[in-house]
Amino acid sequence: MTTIEIGRLLRAGTTGFVVGCRVSQLESPSFGALVRVPVEDQYQIYGLIHDIHIDDDGLVRQLVTAEGIDEAVIADNRVNRNVPIEMSVLAVGYQLEERIFHLLPPRPALSLDTIYLCNDDELRSFTSAGRFGYFRHVLRAADLPVGDLLAAHINQVQAAQVKIGNEDWGIKATQELIVLLRDDYPTLMSVISTLGDAIPDTWNGVKS
Amino acid sequence: MSLDFQSIRQQVKQLGKTAVIREGQLRKIRELAIEILASNDQNLEDLHQKVQDVARNHDPSLRCALPLSEALTASFPLPALPDEMTVLAADGSQITPDRHAEVNFAVINVGAIQMRRGSSDPPSTTTASQLLYDDLLYTSSGTISEALLALMRDQSERTILAELASEAPPPVVTFTDGPMELWGGKAGDSQERVEFQKSLKDYLNALTNLHDMNVITAGYVDKPSANLVVRTLEVAMTPQSELSEIKTSRPLNRVTDRALYRDLLPAGERSALFAMQSQSAKSYAGPLALHFFYLNVGRPGAPYLARVEVPAWVAENQSMLDSLHATLIEQSRMMGARPYPYLLHRAHETAVVSFQDKDQVTQMIIQELRAQGLGIGELSSKQFAKQVEGRTRIKG
Repeated sequence: MTTIEIGRLLRAGTTGFVVGCRVSQLESPSFGALVRVPVEDQYQIYGLIHDIHIDDDGLVRQLVTAEGIDEAVIADNRVNRNVPIEMSVLAVGYQLEERIFHLLPPRPALSLDTIYLCNDDELRSFTSAGRFGYFRHVLRAADLPVGDLLAAHINQVQAAQVKIGNEDWGIKATQELIVLLRDDYPTLMSVISTLGDAIPDTWNGVKS
Repeated sequence: MSLDFQSIRQQVKQLGKTAVIREGQLRKIRELAIEILASNDQNLEDLHQKVQDVARNHDPSLRCALPLSEALTASFPLPALPDEMTVLAADGSQITPDRHAEVNFAVINVGAIQMRRGSSDPPSTTTASQLLYDDLLYTSSGTISEALLALMRDQSERTILAELASEAPPPVVTFTDGPMELWGGKAGDSQERVEFQKSLKDYLNALTNLHDMNVITAGYVDKPSANLVVRTLEVAMTPQSELSEIKTSRPLNRVTDRALYRDLLPAGERSALFAMQSQSAKSYAGPLALHFFYLNVGRPGAPYLARVEVPAWVAENQSMLDSLHATLIEQSRMMGARPYPYLLHRAHETAVVSFQDKDQVTQMIIQELRAQGLGIGELSSKQFAKQVEGRTRIKG
């Protein structure tokens, strides 16, 4: 399995952190992807990418008024200028020594720590530890597009689980979400609607 | 509140009252200037001769445009660009010595950026930083002046362009922000004059290198306020018998060349080419002799004029002049609604030194001196007081 570095930590708190990266690093990470930040030798933090944003500045605002933008100018702004792409990550658990916890990390990561995209093995290890305890961190984040974030995440994990024959991981995850949201009908409906759009096969499995 | 806004308000009211009158007067003077420009449109040889006579016999400090072979009101359309070309721009920034700081030093920082036209590769940037300390920081009259530091910066800009151009695939166009003519050398002590001459010599060497490499080079003056052509018109309108008073005679005062050419140059076009008549221009001889033209880098209906200064080897080569003209228009259009050469802006971004940078260099020097077991100077009481925080409030 390859290890893909996607950026370095800009700022962090207990519940999440922000990663800065170069344009050339943007091909790998995606909305809903699971990432990890090794903080110490036996301690790393896991998180879900819930926002990828590209800030502007005065020059970029001026350049968009030009009639045609030269390819070299576009490349210059993407490669040379100090405007990092920022990714916001929701903390969903951590690993201490060999054990994975679906709890908030005891200490946040530090400035300029390296952030890696989890490979299929790491995805399976994290999502198979416990019983989907990390879902509550997502469901608690009222400001986030919870349905879309869960749909993107379940889609990615399901693909990794299917590779080892674990076909029904997505169905179990969706059933767990229904249980967790049984007392919150509006959110349940929103999440179910999104899951139905994004991962119809899994959703049909849940209904049957 | 540190200003007496009541007093300022009254003065602003007064300004408003006289502004209308002044505007009307200025419009009339500008119309007169345009008339004189038109009436001397083809009077190139006589005017050239008259300007040289005035400079020789009446006002050696005369600074104006010397007409050449192109009609005064001529404009030249946007030429085609070569498919491939290297475009290089440089800009500089400096940290000036601060006697109030703990340690005294200066920094010259030059940023350059290189783009290959016809390639989608990102431009490459280069930064050259020079720390000035010990003997470099002092002249016989004390700490190096800001003017001399600016001179050294200008010289460094042209030098880095020559270095980068020597390794770039031809044809190469280079430019910096501001005039090509170095300023200084008159004021200041004798040591400053010696330093100016040294910087000028290095600068001329860099220009000669660019000439030897057949590189197109220019100085780009954004929103120029000079009246070089207008001053020539003042010479033109002054009768022979009154030329002895030309030094103080300013019948077209307050009209700028920019105002003169604003409605004469269509978008993308350049004016006639002029030679520079000035005392310091004499330092630039032969192929280095200074010339200039005005360029409308704006859009139809929204003219925006820049002055472009070039050496003689570019001015006298039609192909080079056309390539420069077309490159500057292309570069300015890259910036959209506020035209300015893109690479010059990027060179500025690359070179600019922030207050945080200055603090960091200060700390690096302090740490090094401490590591050598040396004492550190103290912040002046004046600077300390300025850095004291304002009143704080108890949060209740």
